[in-house]
Amino acid sequence: MWKFIVRRLVITFPQLILLSVLIFLLAQAMPGDALTGLVDPNIDPATIDEQREKLGLNKPWYEKYIEWVGGVFQGDLGQSFRYKIPVTDLIEERIVNTFWLSVATLIFTYMIAVPLGMISGRYNDTILDSSITGYTYIGFATPLFIFALVMLWIFGYHLQWFPTGGSVAPELKPGTLEYVLSRIQHLLLPALSIALIQTVSTVQYLRSEIVDTKQKDFIITARAKGASESRVYNRHILRNSLLPIAAFFGYEITTLITGTIFIEQIFSFPGMGQLFIESVLQRDFSVVNAVVLLFGAAAIVGALLSDIILSIVDPRIRIK
Amino acid sequence: MRTTHVSKWLLALMFFMFLVLAACGNGSGDAIYSIEDFSENASTEGEAIDGGTLNYGLVTDTTFEGTLNYNFYSGSFDNEIIKWFDESLLSVDKNHKYTQDGAATFEVSEDHRTFTFTIRDHVNWHDGEPVKAEDWAYAIEVIGHPDYDGPRYDSSFRNIEGMEEYHNGEVDSISGLEVVDAKTLKITYIEGTPSLLAGGIWPYALPKHIFEDIPVADMSASDAVRKNPIGFGPFKVEGIVPGESVSMTANEDYWQGPPKLDGVTVKVVNPQTIVQALKSGDVDTVDSFPTDQYADVETELTNVEFLGTVDMSYSYIGFKLGTWDKKAQEVKPNPDAKMADVNLRRAMWYAVDNEAVAKQFYNGLRWNANTLIPPSHPDYHDSSIEAPTYDPEKAKQILDEAGYLDTNNDGMRENPDGEELIINFASMSGGGDIAEPLTNYYIQAWKEVGLNVQLLDGRLIELNSFYDKIGQNGDDAPEVDMYQGAWSVATDVDPSSLYGRQAIFNFSRYASEENDRLLEEGTSEKAFDPEYRKKVYSEWQQLMVDKIPVFPTLYRSKLVPINKRVVNYSIGADFMGLHEVGVTQEKTFKAE
Repeated sequence: MWKFIVRRLVITFPQLILLSVLIFLLAQAMPGDALTGLVDPNIDPATIDEQREKLGLNKPWYEKYIEWVGGVFQGDLGQSFRYKIPVTDLIEERIVNTFWLSVATLIFTYMIAVPLGMISGRYNDTILDSSITGYTYIGFATPLFIFALVMLWIFGYHLQWFPTGGSVAPELKPGTLEYVLSRIQHLLLPALSIALIQTVSTVQYLRSEIVDTKQKDFIITARAKGASESRVYNRHILRNSLLPIAAFFGYEITTLITGTIFIEQIFSFPGMGQLFIESVLQRDFSVVNAVVLLFGAAAIVGALLSDIILSIVDPRIRIK
Repeated sequence: MRTTHVSKWLLALMFFMFLVLAACGNGSGDAIYSIEDFSENASTEGEAIDGGTLNYGLVTDTTFEGTLNYNFYSGSFDNEIIKWFDESLLSVDKNHKYTQDGAATFEVSEDHRTFTFTIRDHVNWHDGEPVKAEDWAYAIEVIGHPDYDGPRYDSSFRNIEGMEEYHNGEVDSISGLEVVDAKTLKITYIEGTPSLLAGGIWPYALPKHIFEDIPVADMSASDAVRKNPIGFGPFKVEGIVPGESVSMTANEDYWQGPPKLDGVTVKVVNPQTIVQALKSGDVDTVDSFPTDQYADVETELTNVEFLGTVDMSYSYIGFKLGTWDKKAQEVKPNPDAKMADVNLRRAMWYAVDNEAVAKQFYNGLRWNANTLIPPSHPDYHDSSIEAPTYDPEKAKQILDEAGYLDTNNDGMRENPDGEELIINFASMSGGGDIAEPLTNYYIQAWKEVGLNVQLLDGRLIELNSFYDKIGQNGDDAPEVDMYQGAWSVATDVDPSSLYGRQAIFNFSRYASEENDRLLEEGTSEKAFDPEYRKKVYSEWQQLMVDKIPVFPTLYRSKLVPINKRVVNYSIGADFMGLHEVGVTQEKTFKAE
């Protein structure tokens, strides 16, 4: 097992290098640069030229790449042009927000998915099942950015149960209990909005797994041995049905840092998704490169985690 | 059978949703508005309560950068935050010209080259230190420093005596900068121009006692800018949540007197939810409101008043009349350019109905423009100049007389040599849903008079590529014959950064001796006489209407909604009474 993990990590390495070259070239191929947006009569073109020179934007791409990679190895991802602070600081600032939002989202997702999936699978082809499946289809069809707007409108502005934007109330001091509570309160609505939509695929997975598992021979055996119906479902069927979801969990973990662009914009919640899209639109290359590299690394690690989780929970799968 | 049941429900649901969506589409009002009907000042009367917190929204779907210092910021949203806790030492009037009412007063020498500034007593930084002349000089030294990483070092700094040498690292101090005593600063400029009085002087101080120990290159990233910014404005920064909000409290020591409000909270609001935020009283006011939403929501928003002013910008259509000479760093007009005939350009101006565009697309919140100096500079904008307005018959007549005739009977005019004339029009995407129909309208209007105008690349071009193509780096794409753009204008009326011979932003690449002369006259010492300067710029506006390197299409308005509980608020350029802004009640008004 350890051998496997090490081997996988070794393979990851060239993948990351390839990824970094690709990102770098693609970013360079975008028209314009961070200074294009400064076409403004209040700003002197000579100043812009000077800054371009200072930022090294006029150098050929391979020189820039080597400089960048050199920095990455020393843990220096460069300076954000737009924010004028080191990219690592910027990412640190945002990743915390995204992380907690994703944790809340994951909790909600599973809190909704597991009971609904179980009910739906256990009582399949009943009205209850149909309404749950109906919900999942609507969930599949509803675009998140519209759903989030509707949620915000109803629960944020109309009923005023939740704050309408930001990650925390502006006037609170970090470290106090109020601050923590305010942060949690700010997380609820965006997390719930994502979870209600995102959960539907998990519900469907779980449902079909349960429907599938309950016809297996070992379930009949369990029933024949006199196990109660609830024991059959909770111990025998659920456990076996959770396998694919456990495998999926590894991938879900990658979303902990990638963030959700729509939600972040609608709720003015500064996170990684927003940082990414902004940096692309504003040609803040150092940020684009760093963020994509991070996302890429997360995806690779997530896939690895999935494999490991699967091998732990399912004794039939053994990694050699 | 259950399946049919479900599908029936689904059908019903879909139908319902369709209705909801259809209802959404019907909101757009047909009303026509005029900027004349808006006031710059909040009209709410009544006694302000003692205290209260104002909620100020920044309408954006991005975050703000958080470079919270006038000397380093580049994003406009940062500016909207800084203005609450720091301010210019010099006040301005409606024409953006410096006046003597600010935290500092000034005297100008005979030759208009030396300015002596005196900072008032009682002007103190938030930490209690007085604002000194050396703080002001320090700001200029930092911006001129070779390691400075902000965008402010420009020709107005190079105009300070000894600045170039200092900027190039040859000397350690700027010869034109003299700290006379604790409160008096003397600046000597190389050239005394009237532009100095309209944004040509750097009016922001930098607290030296705080920044002294920070290397210039690290200043913009330092905590003194990003976490604990200070100024000498009416409010003090209390807390910053990076990228989303800033809370401020009253600065009782403010030089114009203690503010009426207890504090201000500035926070980011998404443009998609701004109407809801206003309706529910979540924000009192915002930095600017998307004008295209105004007609839809005006009647709903019963709890706010809309203030309006003329925006410092205009939209225009430009013609490519040359290229950029990179070596000489100046424009190189090409007399053989496809659009070189002024009659062709004039006919194209006559062919478009900007009045109708303004009404159809913008509900009158933009309006037909006549010259290249917008009415946001009321003293210089010459409304008496008669520019071409919609007259397709006249356009046809001009084209006929200039020899643009349809010689091969394909319905489209050929050029005077009888060759086919295809004009490539570059247009930018963005600006909401309007960009595309607007572009199509223009192309259609020119077709009506027989001109074959084609949209370059067959589609709207993304901002970055657009400016690359029309020549922001001097690499003008040869396939562009004309383009549609917009400019925001500087506080100084001098248009030479957009139309001068040495201006890379002079995208039409037009130059003439008369143009050079007028632009020079406008910033000459003689132009310190306001009447003379006015006359020069009237002549220049007339010249542009005659020569048409570009023609302005629309002037724009800026709208700002404000909750009816707020008093003494204004969006005028000369407003300096943030400390007098108050609220009449603790809670905001909500829409009924």
